[in-house]
Amino acid sequence: MSQDIATIRVTRYRPEKDSKPYFQEYKVPYRQDMVVLDALNYIKAEMDGSLTYRWSCRMGVCGSCGANIDGEPKLTCASFLHEFKGRTITVEPMTNFPVIKDLVVDMEDFMEKLVKIKPWIIREKETPPEQGEYKQSSKELERYSQFSSCINCMLCYAACPIYGLNEKFLGPAATALAYRYIEDSRDQGKEVRFPIVHEMEGAWECTLVGECSVVCPKGVDPMLAIQKTKILGATNAIKSLLMPRGGR
Amino acid sequence: MYMVREWTSLFVSLYSLIFIYGLSLWAMGSRADFLNFLKNPAIIGFSLVALVFTMYHAATWFYLLGAISPVKIGRSKTKPWQALVLNLILLVIVSYLAIWLLILR
Amino acid sequence: MRAETHKVARLHAILWGIFSLGGMIAAFLLPVLIYLTAIAYPFSLWPFNGAKDPSFLVTGHLLGALFIFVTIAGSLYHGIFRFQSVLTEVGLLKYRRALEAVGYFIIFVGIIILAYYLGTWYLNGTIR
Repeated sequence: MSQDIATIRVTRYRPEKDSKPYFQEYKVPYRQDMVVLDALNYIKAEMDGSLTYRWSCRMGVCGSCGANIDGEPKLTCASFLHEFKGRTITVEPMTNFPVIKDLVVDMEDFMEKLVKIKPWIIREKETPPEQGEYKQSSKELERYSQFSSCINCMLCYAACPIYGLNEKFLGPAATALAYRYIEDSRDQGKEVRFPIVHEMEGAWECTLVGECSVVCPKGVDPMLAIQKTKILGATNAIKSLLMPRGGR
Repeated sequence: MYMVREWTSLFVSLYSLIFIYGLSLWAMGSRADFLNFLKNPAIIGFSLVALVFTMYHAATWFYLLGAISPVKIGRSKTKPWQALVLNLILLVIVSYLAIWLLILR
Repeated sequence: MRAETHKVARLHAILWGIFSLGGMIAAFLLPVLIYLTAIAYPFSLWPFNGAKDPSFLVTGHLLGALFIFVTIAGSLYHGIFRFQSVLTEVGLLKYRRALEAVGYFIIFVGIIILAYYLGTWYLNGTIR
């Protein structure tokens, strides 16, 4: 008779109307296989059409639905209600980002950083299509394929305390993507990308907290990428000291 | 959390500074001053705490080494916990070697 | 301006490399040093069983001096470097420049003093 109910506490915030964010609670019928996104969709469809949030693929590949759920940066489409303790679940916008409305955050900063690292293959000289594809062995693919899984969901930025303290920090995803291209054998853009990731606000800001890799839903392991970038930078610096003219 | 790992650095730094201070007692006074310093219960107590934190640093450091540079064996890659175990064994060997070189020889 | 930041970043890269080396030293050498000076010697345990005297802590002992220098210098560098980032994470980002200056100063002075003591003892073979 009594239906299982889950209570969803959602952050509401309309900058033009509210002086600050507040929580609103909704009681949602609970099913074992529900994810947080299902609950949000239920609320929006049946209870409160004004609830605003991003989502798209609902299967963890588009990167749209990032949020802080019970304090942890997670994808709402990948977070089952039964994962959480109790039947009250708190959903907030991702930390470290300015809020546009409710759960929707401003992504401008990340988009700028993404463009900054030039996430495309850079060639000194493009070969014409008639010459065929750029060939790559599976070994060469292995060197970067893990880091190409990034779906730009920005959960890693939400989890990174350094990004929270310093907005100029290039951050996990951008650095991992830059590394992905640096390690891609087809790419010849080291000269361009190195200065960006080895700026003071690039990889060096990272203090190895590691939370980025913990929250990444695709196993990209940005912490690893940043560490490898640092190692590249250090060996590069030592090389350029020891062989100032040669060795390029 | 990662915080404990980071705070190991405080104890490592403090231990080093305190050790240097102890050496200064030797320089300004006599070797006996340094040895008494080493036997001071407060110093021993702090050193033991520092040792615990140092071991925690070592363990997390070895684990990170394993995560950053996995070694390919055949078709599979080593896992971080394996690097941890391997390096802990290495630590014991290095420690024994140090003792042998410094004292037993 | 670009070249400037590039040089600073390159310097930082090298400093980070030394930090990594310090981390290795702190992980592999510091435990045994602490064990010898805070457990084995005060409590007369192996390898000092019976001996009233830590034999490697004498003037003129080259390996002893080297061991202490490498271990303490490496650990000090690593510890201070990492503690800088702890302070940053705790929110003291604004004072970063100042904290870095203080940190490197401590490292510099510490290592100089250490080298001086150990160097003169080894060379002189006597206590001042």
